[in-house]
Amino acid sequence: MSDGKYFSTTKRGEIHELKEELRSLDRPKKKDAVKKVIAAMTVGKDVSMLFPDVVNCMQTDDLELKKLVYLYLINYAKTQPDLAIMAVNTFVKDSQDPNPLIRALAVRTMGCIRVDKITEYLCDPLQRCLKDDDPYVRKTAAVCVAKLYDINPELVEDRGFLDMLREMLSDANPMVVANALAALQEIQELASSGGKDLLQMTTQTLNKLLAALNECTEWGQVFILDSLAAYDTRDPRDAEKIAERVLPRLQHVNSAVVLSAVKVILRCMDVVALGPGGGEDTIRAWCKKMAPPLVTLLASEPEVQYVALRNINLIVQRRPAILANEVKVFFCKYNDPLYVKMEKLEIMIRLASDKNIDQVLLELKEYAQEVDVDFVRKSVRAIGRCAVALEKATERCINVLLELIQTKVSYVVQEAIIVIKDIFRRYPNQYESIIATLCDNLDSLDEPEAKSSMVWIIGEYAERIDNADELLEAFLETFPEETSMVQLQLLTATVKLFLKKPTESAQKMISAVLSCATTETDNPDLRDRAYIYWRLLSTDPEAAKDVVLAEKPVIADDSSTLDPSLLEQLVSRHLATVAAVYHRPPETFVSRQRLAVTRAEELGSRKFDEEDGTVPGAMVSDNNMAAAAGAAAAAVASSVGDLLDLSDATPAPPPAPAAAAGLGAAVPPQQPPAARGLDDLLGGLDIGGGAPAASSSVPAAAPAAAVGSSDPFASFGSGSASGAAGVAAAGAAGAAAGGLSAAALSQLPVLLSNPGGVSVQGRLVRQGGQVVYQLALRNDTAAPVDGLMIQTNRNSFGLSPASQVLVLSTPGGGSAVPPSSLVPVRVPLLVDAGKVTPPPLSTALQVALRTNQVGVLYFNDSVPLSALTEENGTMEAADFLAAWKALPPETSARLPLAVPSAESAKQRLAAANLFVLAHRQVPATGQDAIYATCRISAGGVGQVLLELKFVAGAGGVDVSVKAERQDVAQLVFDGLPAVLLGSA
Amino acid sequence: MISQFYILSPRGDVIIRKDYLGDVPRTSSETFFRNAKFWKEGDGEAPPVFNVDGVTYLHIKEGGVQLVATTRANLSPSFVLEFLRRICTIVKDYCGFLSEDAIRKNVVLVYELLDEVVDYGFPQNTATEALKQFVVNEPTVVAPAYYQAKPLFSLSKGPTGVFKSVLETTRTDGKRRDEIFVDVVERITCTFNASGYIASAQVDGAVQIKSYLAGNPPIKIKLNDDLLIGKRDAPYGVSDSSSNGHMVVLDDCNFHEVANLDSFDVDRTISLVPPDGEFALMNYRTSHGFKPPFRLQASVERDPNSDVKANLTLRLWCEVPSDKAASGLEVEVPTPRYVQRVHCDLESSSAGGGAGGG
Repeated sequence: MSDGKYFSTTKRGEIHELKEELRSLDRPKKKDAVKKVIAAMTVGKDVSMLFPDVVNCMQTDDLELKKLVYLYLINYAKTQPDLAIMAVNTFVKDSQDPNPLIRALAVRTMGCIRVDKITEYLCDPLQRCLKDDDPYVRKTAAVCVAKLYDINPELVEDRGFLDMLREMLSDANPMVVANALAALQEIQELASSGGKDLLQMTTQTLNKLLAALNECTEWGQVFILDSLAAYDTRDPRDAEKIAERVLPRLQHVNSAVVLSAVKVILRCMDVVALGPGGGEDTIRAWCKKMAPPLVTLLASEPEVQYVALRNINLIVQRRPAILANEVKVFFCKYNDPLYVKMEKLEIMIRLASDKNIDQVLLELKEYAQEVDVDFVRKSVRAIGRCAVALEKATERCINVLLELIQTKVSYVVQEAIIVIKDIFRRYPNQYESIIATLCDNLDSLDEPEAKSSMVWIIGEYAERIDNADELLEAFLETFPEETSMVQLQLLTATVKLFLKKPTESAQKMISAVLSCATTETDNPDLRDRAYIYWRLLSTDPEAAKDVVLAEKPVIADDSSTLDPSLLEQLVSRHLATVAAVYHRPPETFVSRQRLAVTRAEELGSRKFDEEDGTVPGAMVSDNNMAAAAGAAAAAVASSVGDLLDLSDATPAPPPAPAAAAGLGAAVPPQQPPAARGLDDLLGGLDIGGGAPAASSSVPAAAPAAAVGSSDPFASFGSGSASGAAGVAAAGAAGAAAGGLSAAALSQLPVLLSNPGGVSVQGRLVRQGGQVVYQLALRNDTAAPVDGLMIQTNRNSFGLSPASQVLVLSTPGGGSAVPPSSLVPVRVPLLVDAGKVTPPPLSTALQVALRTNQVGVLYFNDSVPLSALTEENGTMEAADFLAAWKALPPETSARLPLAVPSAESAKQRLAAANLFVLAHRQVPATGQDAIYATCRISAGGVGQVLLELKFVAGAGGVDVSVKAERQDVAQLVFDGLPAVLLGSA
Repeated sequence: MISQFYILSPRGDVIIRKDYLGDVPRTSSETFFRNAKFWKEGDGEAPPVFNVDGVTYLHIKEGGVQLVATTRANLSPSFVLEFLRRICTIVKDYCGFLSEDAIRKNVVLVYELLDEVVDYGFPQNTATEALKQFVVNEPTVVAPAYYQAKPLFSLSKGPTGVFKSVLETTRTDGKRRDEIFVDVVERITCTFNASGYIASAQVDGAVQIKSYLAGNPPIKIKLNDDLLIGKRDAPYGVSDSSSNGHMVVLDDCNFHEVANLDSFDVDRTISLVPPDGEFALMNYRTSHGFKPPFRLQASVERDPNSDVKANLTLRLWCEVPSDKAASGLEVEVPTPRYVQRVHCDLESSSAGGGAGGG
């Protein structure tokens, strides 16, 4: 009998017919009917109206029929919660069935029905099944705890199911251990906002897991390995023990087991490296054992290969030694899918060394002659990257590139010219002899990037190319039609040519280009750059020479190198996970708070300030990206404006003083450092698009590509300092005007650092009975930033800005932060009882700052104790004694502080509104004992009583805290060091 | 963990769908199909792992259908891909064959299997053997309408030609046949340079077993004695090829967990209790000391009669012994973009075949 026939009925009245059949007393007929219903369900037909009839079939001892009904139930229980209750009795009964299969089936199905009403009935059967004699039932029940937690976490905690899960980690059956572990991991992830360690890994559990490792199914092994990788040990012996047990897993056929084992071993390596002697021999031995399994992964299916290659890419960056001799296995096979080939190329470049470069080049040359255009281009680029990375091999790489140029295949030639430009920037004045060959291939250039690269080469080496003027002239014929990338390069190259060879034809060309670029174009970048050159040339040609022909910094190949901290994070925490495939931290794509789709509307309406958890990572990254792009665009536009204002020598409008301050010293050309400053500004302009975008760690960012297109060097991320010196000077000037002294401003702690964007410094202080946020905004973009609004997330003290709109202390009282300046802002905060989060207390404060230009910026701060304690928070000594007796037992801790004298301590406490009520010396121990009190009404903390005992001048202060709320103690312990050391 | 699992037909219809965590919308199958079919970056295929709107899609293709898993968590992608692969094997073991038709005819059985194999997105016991005790549905074995030998360049490794459900081993009606199939499947990748010499060569091989033995008796498999496994027997590298010319040298290999290797290093014997269904007992790879079954030589000449024509001559030698035949041979000639027309001639001595487009 085949199930295919169930799909074939599409007659009308079908539902009615099914209903009849479901009520039939004939069992095979009934079964057939249920099968038909399920078939209809699968293809997406709505058969929910049959719910009561199907549920009626549930009471049966036919296992097959029961399974079918359960399958249906899982699908429709959500939409029919009231009817689903009907099924509960059968579930409870089934969970006590003598047949373990039926017991497990009942528990499994109950958990899948995500209906709140059912959960309370679920608890008792679940409790029973967690203790069942049959391992099959136990392992099913373990998973069910995770299901229940997703629906009702409180219930799981109240019923002690988490403890039961932890106990199951020592179950005799490995399958049960694996499932209990997986369930705990899943719950941990769901509850991650709480930050509790549910697993509570001890040496004992560790040993149990290691023991279960060999017995488990392959999937269970991955769960165990992942929890071993998460286990934080500092003990090299522990690490060695773990690694020894894990090493045999490298031989496993399942690639997931292998990769997770690699992850554990890499983590153990880091720990062993901390041990005596750096564990060099151990590490070397482990590295040796890791290479063959990693290579074997490349023989698996392409999908698995792809994942392995993305991981290997990270491993090779972190520990190049492991695969240093294996470059051959990464050579592309003819029939590899494109996505595998691209990854292999990446790794080949990374593994290329002086030893194997000949082999690698031979391969790359082969690839460059294949038919797939994308692959060919990437291969040519790879040759260029090898040249930039390996100085000794550059000549050989160039020879290969020249050979490829001889093929005259248009896209090969163009790609080769692009990389040769990079090679010239890496090794200036070494390989110019090949320019002639390049010049023979001008006709085949039709892509903007290749064209602009060639134009750059001509401009840069104009003095060595005899007919440079003719070549440029040929390009200039089509000037108005070119893309802006080519136009910009043509403009600069013409200026270079003119400065190097001021012949008559060059003069003619430059005036033609300048007039075209200033009058006939709509592109502000081009027009403004043309104006700069024009003014530079007409004011002081010598200065122009210093600026335009300045020596450029040598580039390095970092086009696909990850930020070291990101790499570290990916390798040690996220290897063998999706994050390692995307090369992005998980926060950027994992939404921590997992919500059922049924709750999606709720999700949509949630606002930032209502959310309990942290700000979703993806949101932040998008904003940063937008900020970078916006800032870059603004930089190009307005730094040019400022320059023009300056040379016009007109009185500068408000935003100008900043730039003027930076430039005031920079103009006279006879001062070399100053000339550099100007060059930097131009550099910022030149590379403006590329620098900020390239520095963002998220690869393949669309904005980066869009902005970077104006810059031929974007692919090599030739980060320029963007005139940092000028900005700093300007910032100080702006700050001085704002009231707060520049020194005080610069001492504010940095809350958000955004080089090239908007940075925030600030501190919470108490002024006039109010908590005040002293902020300083640094605008490193080149455009004014306005529309500033501030908001805080819910916090323990309900701190919230009195007014969301920021009033700036700029000289003119304007509402914008001028470019390249630091502007102080004073934000009074109020206590809003509606924004108080439930206990425990936390000093964390999340703040969002909205701007019109760079989007929303988020930063985190912590609330210092001294900002919270109230001025009138003292009390009578007698009351203190009474309260000390009445309050619950104190919480004590020893803080590692050195207090110079009791007097200074008293002064500092008083300054922070911690009122000293008594001070006595304990002769026996030579200690000083100080009793103090303070009141914090924000967040409902109330009166706090303190006892401090210390020996003046020695390290260590014993602090005891008494308060109505127990969680206050930690707040005091965290806040006291700042108070006693006087940094507050 | 895995949020959803579904099997899609080549047209993008959902054949099997399971929703585990309920945090990914039901429409994700359409999102997946659209993105996988029209992958945005160039004309390559979609990578096996990709992310759209915070949902990670992991997928493999087998037997014409696509198996897809979605998740929002940061889990191990190879874990999921291996698991999808494992589901393919289970379906093959129980339904005899994996195709859209086979799944459609065994929907209930497949659901039943899935329920045992995944619980709330966690993979459970996936051994074909262990699953038997939980399965109550009968399979409908569909032999494929026509069985086409897998082309040589097919990437999938696996024994061919047996379409039988493992559930048949439990039959008691006398029709049962105790059988075991042991296949050695090798995938050879060779690059010949223009003059016909081998530039690089590699063999990825597997000893694949498909067992239909009732009662799972222990068996022994012996490999040839002159086998030398590089990383196992000579961890510091094989000295050089001339000294072990008569040996079969494998670079590296791994074994299925059922393999008992106690005497493998002594006499190359693997003892095992074969579980039901299909599994790879041993995977190995080697890059030297073998002769490819084909040799290929290519040469391009300009056509003397025309400026816009070129002749490509491919000479293919088959080195397979004359008493055996190579079937399902395909030759694919990628051509540059500017090639407008291809005309193909086979010498009269060769067997039939059609010209491919260019």
